[in-house]
Amino acid sequence: MIYVIDHKDSFTHNVVHQLSLFDKVECDDFSKINKSKLNKASTIVFSPGPGSPKDYPLSSKIYKQFKGKKKIIGICLGFQQILFCEGANIIEQNKIYHGFQSEVLVNKFSKLFDVGSKFKVGRYHSLKLKEPFNSENFDITMRCVTSGAAMSFENNVDKIYGFQFHPESFLTINGKILIKKILSA
Amino acid sequence: MIRENYLNRINNSNKPFAIYKTAKGFDFYTDFSKKIILNNKNINKFLNIKFEKKKNYKKTDLLIGFFGYELLNNLIGVKLPKQKNINFPKGIFYKPETKTILKNNLVYKSNYNNKISKKFKININQNSYTKIFNMFKKKIKSGETYQIKICTKYKNNSKIDPLDFFCRLAKSNLAPEAFMIKDKDFSIISCSPENLITKKGLSISTKPIAGTLRKTKKINKKKALNFFRNNIKETKEHNMIVDMERNDLSKICKPGTVKLIKEKNVEEYKDLYHYVSLITGMLKKNVKNIDIIKAMMPGGSVIGCPKISTLNLLNKQEKENRNIYTGSFGYIKFNGDMRFNIIIRSILNYKNISEISVASGVVIDSNAKHEFNENFIKAKALIDLFR
Repeated sequence: MIYVIDHKDSFTHNVVHQLSLFDKVECDDFSKINKSKLNKASTIVFSPGPGSPKDYPLSSKIYKQFKGKKKIIGICLGFQQILFCEGANIIEQNKIYHGFQSEVLVNKFSKLFDVGSKFKVGRYHSLKLKEPFNSENFDITMRCVTSGAAMSFENNVDKIYGFQFHPESFLTINGKILIKKILSA
Repeated sequence: MIRENYLNRINNSNKPFAIYKTAKGFDFYTDFSKKIILNNKNINKFLNIKFEKKKNYKKTDLLIGFFGYELLNNLIGVKLPKQKNINFPKGIFYKPETKTILKNNLVYKSNYNNKISKKFKININQNSYTKIFNMFKKKIKSGETYQIKICTKYKNNSKIDPLDFFCRLAKSNLAPEAFMIKDKDFSIISCSPENLITKKGLSISTKPIAGTLRKTKKINKKKALNFFRNNIKETKEHNMIVDMERNDLSKICKPGTVKLIKEKNVEEYKDLYHYVSLITGMLKKNVKNIDIIKAMMPGGSVIGCPKISTLNLLNKQEKENRNIYTGSFGYIKFNGDMRFNIIIRSILNYKNISEISVASGVVIDSNAKHEFNENFIKAKALIDLFR
C-alpha cells in the first residue's frame, strides 16, 4: 500500500490516481495522519502543496522517522521537503514556473532512467533547491535544459526519490512510466 | 406551441420563475410548490435528501436554484471572516411544477417603467486594487498560491425588469450557461459561459474556461487559437486550471477514467472567443451528490490554485460578502443527475440594489493596470444594460 500525505494541494488527487494504476493507495491530510496506515504502507509519498518545507514540520518528522525503512517519494513541495530534511536550502527563484512545460535532461548520475534522454514535463513551483547541495547517497539526476535547475533526485541506497516537476500533470509526457519505474525500483 | 405573449403573461402574473439555457433554447420553470432557503446549518441535510425511486420521472422532478459562495466555502471547511453583508440568502432551491421549452429568440416586450440609474459605484479603486495585487504577487513568489483572482464589485440603486434585462442580454450575448431567477424581493440575471458539473448516471464532465478574447472583424477563430497558443501567460493559466479540474474529478472518479477530452480549444460566441477544455470521468459507485459538490465547488477556474490556500488568502482580504458570485446555479434531478454552472457575469438585484461582481487573475506575469481594466471590461457588458 502507498500512503500519500496531502499538503492541501489541488494536484494531490492526480497523484493518487496515477499511483492507483500500480498499487492500493491511501491519502490523508498532513495534519490528520493515520498512524496505522502510515505503519502499514510500503511507500510514503509527500504530495505537492503551497508554501515551503518549513511550513510542514509534521511531514519532516515522518520523513526522518521512516528514512531507510520504507520507500519515500516526494513531488514538487514533497521533493523540496525531503531535500530540506537533508539540510538543503529551499529558495525563491527569479523566474517562476506555474503551469509551465519545459524540457528536462537525465544526467549520468541516474540509475533508473536513460542517461542523456530528454522529455517534456509540467512545472508548478515558486521555490527551488539552492545549489551546491551535497548529502550522502543523494544525486541530482535530472535538470531543466534551459535553466539547469534541479528537477529530480535519486537515493538508490535508501530508496528515496523526488521530482520537482509534476509527473501526474497532463503537461508531462509519459509521467506514468516515470512513476512505474520508481515504484518498481 | 408557446404563444407569443407567454413571457409577458407569466411576468405580469408576478409568479416567481427561473430560466436556464439549453443546447437548443431555454428551459422555463415556474409554479414553484416548494422553496428551500439554505444556510450553513441545513445545507448538509439538503444535499443528503434521498429522492423517491421511480420508473418514470416527470420533467419537473428536480430542484433548481443556487449555492452562494459562502455556503460552498463552509461545505469544504473554509471559514469566512466577518464581512459587510446585505443578508441575501446563502442559497435557494425551488421545486417547479411547470416546465416549458422556449426557443432561442425570446419574445418579450417590457411594459415596465424602468427607473434605472446608470451610475455605478466600485468598491475598490485602482490604488487599493494595485496594493492587493502586489500583496498577492508576493504570495505567488513565496509559493502560497500559484494563481489568484481579485474580485471587484459594482453597485447601483435601480428598480429593474429582470426579464427585460435577460432577454436583451440573451440577444447580445447568448452564453451556454445563461440563466435567470425572478422572485418577490430579488432577481438574478447571468450570461455565465461556464459549465462546472454535468452528471448523467455515472458519467460526469466539467468544462473550464480560462482565457477570453474580444471578437473583432480582424480576428477569426483560427487567429484566436494562435493568439492563445502564443500567449504564454494565458497558456499557463489555462494549464493550471486543467490540472486542478482533473484533480477535483479524480477525488470522485474511478482511477484511470479521468480524461482530457478537449485540450485547449477555442469556442466562438457572439462577441467573444473562449479558451476551453473538456474533462470527463466515471464516478466511483459509492459517490453521493454531496461528495461531487464538495469535490468540485466552488469552481476552481474563478478562484485560483491551489484551491484551499487561495480561498483563505482571498477571504482574508475581501471586505464584502460575494453573495452569489462564484457560487453555482443549476439543478438536481430526482434520478440523481445534475447540471451546475459557475455564477459569473451576473447581476444580483436585491431590494432594488443591483450588484455586479467581476474578477481577473493574478499570475506571476500579470500587470495590475491591465487586470483592473479587464475587470471593468467584464462588468461593462452588464453595466450597458442599465440604459
